[in-house]
Amino acid sequence: MLGTLRALFGNEYDAEGYRSCSVTGLDVHRSVEEHVKLFGVTAVVALVVGGSFAFTVATTRWELIGLLEPGDFYTHLSLHAWNLLIFWMVFMEIAVLYVGGPMVLGRRLPLTALAKAGWAVMVAGAVGVNLSIWFTEAPEQAPLLTAYVPLPVSPWFYATAIVFLLGATVAALPFFAAVWKEKRGAATKTLPLVTFGAFVTGVIAVEAILGGIAAFAYALVWRVGLIESVEVGIYRQLYWIVGHGTQQINLLAMVTVWYFLTHVVGGAVVVSEKVSRSAFILYLFFINLGAAHHLLVDPGMSTGWRVWNTSYAFYGAAFASMIHAFAIPAGIEAGRRQRGLGGGLFGWLTSAPWRNPVFSSVVFSVILFGFLGGITGVVMGQMQVNMTWHNTLATVGHFHATVALGTTLTFMGLTLFVVKTMFRREFVSDRLASLVPYAYAGTMSVATLMLMYAGILYGVPRRTAEVVRNIPGTDFSLAAASPLFALFGVFALLAILSGILFVVATVGSLLFGADNSGGDLTDLHAEGGLTPDGGTSVHAVELRGTFVLCLVFMAAFVAAYVLNWYLLTQLWSIGA
Amino acid sequence: MPAPLDPPEGNWWDEPVNRRETIWLGIAGLWSVGIFGWMSGFTQFGDQNPIGETYDVEPDAYRERVQEYKDAAEETERGLVPPEDSVYVGAMRYNWDALPVVLEAGREYDVHLGAYDVQHGFSIRPEETLSKQINLQVFPGNEWVIPMTFDEPGTYHVICNEFCGQGHRSMHGTLVVEEA
Repeated sequence: MLGTLRALFGNEYDAEGYRSCSVTGLDVHRSVEEHVKLFGVTAVVALVVGGSFAFTVATTRWELIGLLEPGDFYTHLSLHAWNLLIFWMVFMEIAVLYVGGPMVLGRRLPLTALAKAGWAVMVAGAVGVNLSIWFTEAPEQAPLLTAYVPLPVSPWFYATAIVFLLGATVAALPFFAAVWKEKRGAATKTLPLVTFGAFVTGVIAVEAILGGIAAFAYALVWRVGLIESVEVGIYRQLYWIVGHGTQQINLLAMVTVWYFLTHVVGGAVVVSEKVSRSAFILYLFFINLGAAHHLLVDPGMSTGWRVWNTSYAFYGAAFASMIHAFAIPAGIEAGRRQRGLGGGLFGWLTSAPWRNPVFSSVVFSVILFGFLGGITGVVMGQMQVNMTWHNTLATVGHFHATVALGTTLTFMGLTLFVVKTMFRREFVSDRLASLVPYAYAGTMSVATLMLMYAGILYGVPRRTAEVVRNIPGTDFSLAAASPLFALFGVFALLAILSGILFVVATVGSLLFGADNSGGDLTDLHAEGGLTPDGGTSVHAVELRGTFVLCLVFMAAFVAAYVLNWYLLTQLWSIGA
Repeated sequence: MPAPLDPPEGNWWDEPVNRRETIWLGIAGLWSVGIFGWMSGFTQFGDQNPIGETYDVEPDAYRERVQEYKDAAEETERGLVPPEDSVYVGAMRYNWDALPVVLEAGREYDVHLGAYDVQHGFSIRPEETLSKQINLQVFPGNEWVIPMTFDEPGTYHVICNEFCGQGHRSMHGTLVVEEA
């Protein structure tokens, strides 16, 4: 066991501790690589734990099976949420910061003691949160993701959640130190785009974490009796700084990984440094206003406050996402056209390396995040439309589109990439690895759409053990939605099975995959080399395919927008 | 050639932007401003807005207010008939206090929402058309007054859609809307 671990964490380095990566062309220092592996492996453990609870949660909501009693359901739902939405993501994101910062810059990881300490504190916090949820007993209640006061949630939960957030802050410090060292004495030097994206991700992360510490500390001092009462509205505002903020970290980390992976395995170029960087700047200033999305149908918030914040100030952050929606596929199109790979409107896309699971994961993630996650996010974020989405399963559909089909799928691709390039293991089965993104993207998309339909067309609420086939104490029910749940149930199970395949492909390869450290991983190399050799200048490449794809996206956006507003205006008159 | 892993060379800010990317920026920008305008405008000309006065009120005081309203209301077999234009709803684990209520179609009521204990979700739809549903958050400590006019007679079902405890799923109440 220890021998296997040692073998996994070892690689051949030169006297200075560096090795050259044949896929990315980067000079990788041992200190960075080892910590990326550490955080990556921990993230996958959290994925397995949280994913196991996906099974019990989905088979309870599929009321035909109705697996769990309500009490157990809320416990399992809380563990599903915290392990997947927080622990899997944040451990992975620290790894992304280390890749985007010191690894891309060709530096060693500074302050490695802090990185290890941060990891240990994060693990302690994560284990503590899991235990505090598992051992919650009445009258205390499971926290779900939000731990809304004044619901009596275990003080241990708030305390351990704070520990985790503090750990994440400490673990992020080496990244900031690396950027600071890079810029010291060279203030006008421009960072690579991926590092720049990682840096903005880091800033957003710190903002989110500060909000989270404030929210949980406020609830904690109330729970232990230091203050007598707690204001619901204040807690909700503080909580959503981290509740929504962590999802913005997921978004930014994902977009950064998109630029990284489409380049190294797809040969993508940057079509405009100016435009892509401006989009990150828009995120930096405006995306956190989106926390207001959760407060749109709350009492006490003024109309102006809600309209301004939910729109990220005239949709500054949605505009930024639409910029990336063009820039990412455009990067692939430009890079491949410059190499003369694939003609016609979509030849560059159809001839792309679709068997490479790293490439297919990322491309599916771009498409599904945009069409299912992005569009629904903006539509449901319109203050009035939010009345028809708030706390329904449609919301759950939205964030499975963003976080499962978007970030998780991207991180799956990244994990498979790391297995080959950093752990230096061949896949136990190339066919299995290639299958994973197709299986997960396909099945999860259907499950996600069913959640959206159940929520928006039948008003099925989230966070409840039953109500579709039976509401205790009344004849009324939402049984008309049952057929949707039959589809949801089957495809949710298939999505979980796809998740298992991913774990088998990853962990199986780590344990039993052939050592590839002698080879140079030509199967991962971008066709025609990492960067195009000459060819047309980027701004002059005909980006026809991307443009058409974006117009299709805009048409879907407009259609979803009009449909949702149409449904809303069919309602009775509401509001002053 | 520009790669995202290398620092860009030279004066990258002044590099020309691809023509189609420029057009896309225009489309995306117009759409962004357009949907902002629609949302803002709808608060002025639209009939469905989650907007109403909010008052701070202690949960116990709100409970008393609802009790006074119930005392003043007429009790019928189908539910309470409100004495005036105000309809009070008290959310509590695991019941909607002051429901069921009997309302007249086409008449504007001020619906008062508040909670006695923890947060709840006021999720309402007519029995016949489940897709016509809206959801509002209910706080302990706030009284939110939202005007509503129900045009279609029928039974409207209220369920809770914010997790409030183990019995959450059993929270159900009705509004009965009748022809005036």
